[in-house]
Amino acid sequence: MPESILSLKNLTIGYEDELIHSIDLQVEIGDIIAIVGPSGLGKTTLLRVIAGLITPLNGEITWRKIRKRGGIGYIPQRLGLVRHASVFHNVDLGARAGTTPSWNIFRWSKERSIDVKEAIDEMGLSEKMYQPIRKLSGGQQRRVATARTLAQKPKLILADEFLSELDQDNVNNIMNVFKSYIENNDAAMILVEHDIERAKKISTKILEIKDSQLRIFSSGVEK
Amino acid sequence: MNRGNSRLILLISFLLFFCIVVLNDLVQGDWGNLSEGWGNLIHFWNDSLWPPDWSMLEAQSYPECQVSIGFFCSKAYLGMLETIKMAFVATIFGFIGAISLSTLAAKNLVPSFVYFPVRIILAITRSLPSIIWAILFVVVFGLGPLAGVLAMTFYTIGYLGKLQYEELEGMHREPLDAARAMGLTHSEIVTNVVIPESSNTLLSQLLFMFEYNVRHGTVLGLVGAGGIGYYLNYYMQLFLYQKVMAFLVVIFIVVIIIDLFSMFIRSFVTDEGDINKPSWVSIFLSPKQARKFHEKPIVEESE
Repeated sequence: MPESILSLKNLTIGYEDELIHSIDLQVEIGDIIAIVGPSGLGKTTLLRVIAGLITPLNGEITWRKIRKRGGIGYIPQRLGLVRHASVFHNVDLGARAGTTPSWNIFRWSKERSIDVKEAIDEMGLSEKMYQPIRKLSGGQQRRVATARTLAQKPKLILADEFLSELDQDNVNNIMNVFKSYIENNDAAMILVEHDIERAKKISTKILEIKDSQLRIFSSGVEK
Repeated sequence: MNRGNSRLILLISFLLFFCIVVLNDLVQGDWGNLSEGWGNLIHFWNDSLWPPDWSMLEAQSYPECQVSIGFFCSKAYLGMLETIKMAFVATIFGFIGAISLSTLAAKNLVPSFVYFPVRIILAITRSLPSIIWAILFVVVFGLGPLAGVLAMTFYTIGYLGKLQYEELEGMHREPLDAARAMGLTHSEIVTNVVIPESSNTLLSQLLFMFEYNVRHGTVLGLVGAGGIGYYLNYYMQLFLYQKVMAFLVVIFIVVIIIDLFSMFIRSFVTDEGDINKPSWVSIFLSPKQARKFHEKPIVEESE
């Protein structure tokens, strides 16, 4: 039986007003869960609650062995990259989170740089390694965010509509990278997606937000 | 003309009118001083200020000059050099103090029980003008550049600290969210996300502060805190304004040079002239040096 890494029980989320209530969700290793629904219903807020960035209004959230340094990888809607820094620097942030800090910062930095270069290479960005993020195209920036997550090696990946603005080939490439990562590293992924057809192609389970509740939309493709 | 523009013109006209009314109140309706003042200024300029006494740029009689070019033993050069040294040290110390405190004063980085007291400390530091700090430090450490350096350092911390925390609060939330979700520590987020993301503005503020401290260092000499201001004060008390004018010309030229230097440095971090920097440390290197500073990129290795 697949191991559960996250469980939400009767969770209510929102800010001043309640956005979604009665959320019950189990996330297991190997899951790729897509959350669909129109804008403004609380999809991003739900991801931020799962990432531990904000507290829920009510209910219980349990992270199993993932609420630790490097355990959760979060790709926000606008990617959350440091725009004035280079590709290397951004991917190194992930690698930094994925490793334990050492007092020997030179040795630690050298060890990290191997993972960083591997991740950059895997996303085909070697030539752009020392370019600042703001000089890259939207597609390239998405690949940097992917490389940052790969270098981090998290157990749970949260991605907020980060596939939007990409053509189908690029979506397939990036999702293949993530699928292979999830299989090889016993990880899981939750992504917010506004395109239901695309969500069906890339996920193992689709949830939709309707009437302030999170419901199962339909089954996605087989794992 | 659209409605928005006419409203703007109306607002500006009202503000100008209001300023004239307030000014009229300040001068108590006596505008005669203004017309007489212009004549006084021309008289003062022709009789007392111009031409400057360029002997201030020549070697002093004592101590004996050891270098062949007399300018390097002049009061103007030695005074200006001391002011620049004071401003440089104070700006660097002040910047380090300011960046440490501003990251503890930004609402988006720390909770209210941390940022509130730190903001009060910054406000206290800023509320005393540097000349008051200089008087305090002259009392504590005696006359000389140390008092000037400390005065400028404290003022820089307060002034730059406020500019910096406002800049940090304006940064976009998402890079912080991504870093926090990853589990990075506060110091890692500050050094690897916050500072690089705000680097352009921080660098610009640093250079502005250096220029400000050089200009302001000249004033601190008035209270005995060293630098070129010492000579300015000395000759003003003796009413030797042509000598004062020579020092002012030197200060003007130095400020222009610093401004050009600052433009050169900032050109590396604008969109037009970018440093291909793997880390924010190499911000002070040219693109070519930055590449050399770090190891070769993979693309070159594969060729």
